[in-house]
Formats: sequence, C-alpha cells, structure tokens
Amino acid sequence: MIIPVRCFTCGKVVGSSYPIYVKRVQMGEDPEKVLDELGLERYCCRRMIISHADLIGEIQLLG
Amino acid sequence: MMQIEIIEMSDTKAKFILKDGTPGLANALRRVLISDVPKMAIDNVEFHLGPIMVDGREYESITPLFDEIVSHRLGLVPVPTDHELFVFQKDCVCEGEGCPNCSIMYSLNKIGPCTVYSGDLVPLGNEALKVKDDLIPIIELGDGQAVLVYAIARMGTANEHVKWQATHGVGYKYMPIISVDPKLCDGGSKCTDLCPCKVFVMDGDVAKAENLLQCSLCGSCLKFCDMKAISLTEDDTQFVFTMETDGSLTAAQTLDYALKDLQARFAKFCEDLPDA
Ligand SMILES: [Zn+2]
Ligand SMILES: [Zn+2]
Repeated sequence: MIIPVRCFTCGKVVGSSYPIYVKRVQMGEDPEKVLDELGLERYCCRRMIISHADLIGEIQLLG
Repeated sequence: MMQIEIIEMSDTKAKFILKDGTPGLANALRRVLISDVPKMAIDNVEFHLGPIMVDGREYESITPLFDEIVSHRLGLVPVPTDHELFVFQKDCVCEGEGCPNCSIMYSLNKIGPCTVYSGDLVPLGNEALKVKDDLIPIIELGDGQAVLVYAIARMGTANEHVKWQATHGVGYKYMPIISVDPKLCDGGSKCTDLCPCKVFVMDGDVAKAENLLQCSLCGSCLKFCDMKAISLTEDDTQFVFTMETDGSLTAAQTLDYALKDLQARFAKFCEDLPDA
C-alpha cells in the first residue's frame, strides 16, 4: 500500500527514508549502503523499507 | 550517587554510561524515557467534505485512503515540541478547550495529482512549528482529488498512545568485565579473530580486551578459547545506554527531562513515606 510512517516494531520514522531509498537505488547505488547512510540500523526498520510493495498508485483510481 | 558519562550525543541519538547505579534504577530511567517524556502530536483532524473549488475547477475531497488512516498517519508525524511554550491541556488556563498555549493548529491543503508530504502541513501562526521531517508521504492524490484538512496537535505522553512517545530504541546492557589471564593465554589469537564484536586486540603475545563498549556479552570468546584464559562477567552497577528520539525533541532535552522527572518522583516518594 503506502509506506508506513513509522517502523512497526521500534517506532522510528521510516516514511521519509523511503522516497530517498527508492531514488538512490534506482540510480544504481548499493541498497545496503543506502540503508546505512539513512540511519536505519536495526533490522526491524530495514525490513520496513526493503519489503514494502508500493501499491498506492493502483488503488488511487478507486478513491 | 548515580553519574552519567556521555559517549555520543547528536541531535537525535545518544549513548551514555550510567555509573554507580542499580539494575532497578537503570530500568526506571529506561521506562521514563519511553513513556513519560511528553511531546506534541496531532490528535484531532477535521476533514473538509464536499467539493473544493481551485482556479475555477472543481475537485472532489476524496483520497485513496480512508480518512481514519490519513488521520492516523498524521498523528504519527513528529511535531516539534518546546516544553517552555506548551503545557498539557488539562493544566492549561483554557481548561482543556484548546488555545495557543496548549495546542498547535496545522492546515493541509493540496490538489491532485500529487503526493502529499508531511512538509505540506502549514502551522497556523508560529512558522517555527513547521514539521522538521518534511518528506514523510501522507497520501497520494489522483487527478481531480483534493484534501483540505485542519489538524490540531496537543501535548501527551506515551502512556496514552505511542504517537506521544518521544524516544525509540531505548535500551541498556550491563558493562562487561573481561579479563584475560596472561599466564594461560598462548597467543593463539582465536578471540581476536572470532569475537563478532571485535573486542580483543593482541598486546605482544597475549590477547587483551580493549573495545569493551562494543561487547554484546555473547560469550563466544569463552567457547573459542582453548586455554580457558578468558573470564567474562557483568558489572551490575554500570550500564551502557543507547537511545534515539523521533526528532520532536533533541536527545539531550529528552534525557534532561527524564532525569528531572525521575528525581521529582523519588523526592515525592520519600515525602510520602511515613517517618521511620
Ligand atoms: Zn525499527
Ligand atoms: Zn489551552
């Protein structure tokens, strides 16, 4: 759906990292390095970004 | 007397050692940091319903997500907090009705197609209260869709809801005490190679525990050392704390507040005790 504002487990704000992550990885950067530089240390926060399926565009039409 | 030695202190992150404490005291500090430091968060969201006219075009006030989800997402956005400027609504002169002393009003006004970010929240009045983290996606709007929202933030603590939790990743570990017996150590350097936290270094032909703060107390050095030269225990008067804040308060402000709060509570507790 849409990227959650915070990590489900620890509560860190991850929403603002997602647009940056997507942009930088599409430019060919190493995802691991990008996550490190965004300050996402714990694996709970990292999985929020890695495993997210951004489907909000698909249901937008149904709004 | 409890002492704190700061190892790392940035805007949103802190690492420190609590010295001369007890396990109970360390846990009390952890719990106060998590659930008793007040901050501002959006608590009341009002949606404009019906058509929105912009430049002669009619937009539908509708979004792909339910209004409830949008308000929940707005609630989780970290709102800048100043304990000098704002008080709890129940302690305010307005008696909980809501006034500039106890609440911040934001407006959100966007037309599609676009992504609405937390940076689009406009504070009414003080421009300094603009949300610092301005890249959190709130909703995506399609063509002809629009939002017009008024959101009110108020002070609260995490006892009520996590959106009022100023910190995350708060935790501590006992300070490790590691010693290598130089008589037994044969300089096989297994511990320097195999310790996952890289605690050991070679000092001549014997191993030495150096990076104590990195130790996760996993105990694998005890297993790997064939000579049984290493001993590992925990110091239950010293604690290595780590904490982070969500950006609504700085790490230093949060720690300050928590320590003062804890002190006040202990003082109150002593007062309430019947004279022994
Ligand atoms: Zn997390
Ligand atoms: Zn008030």
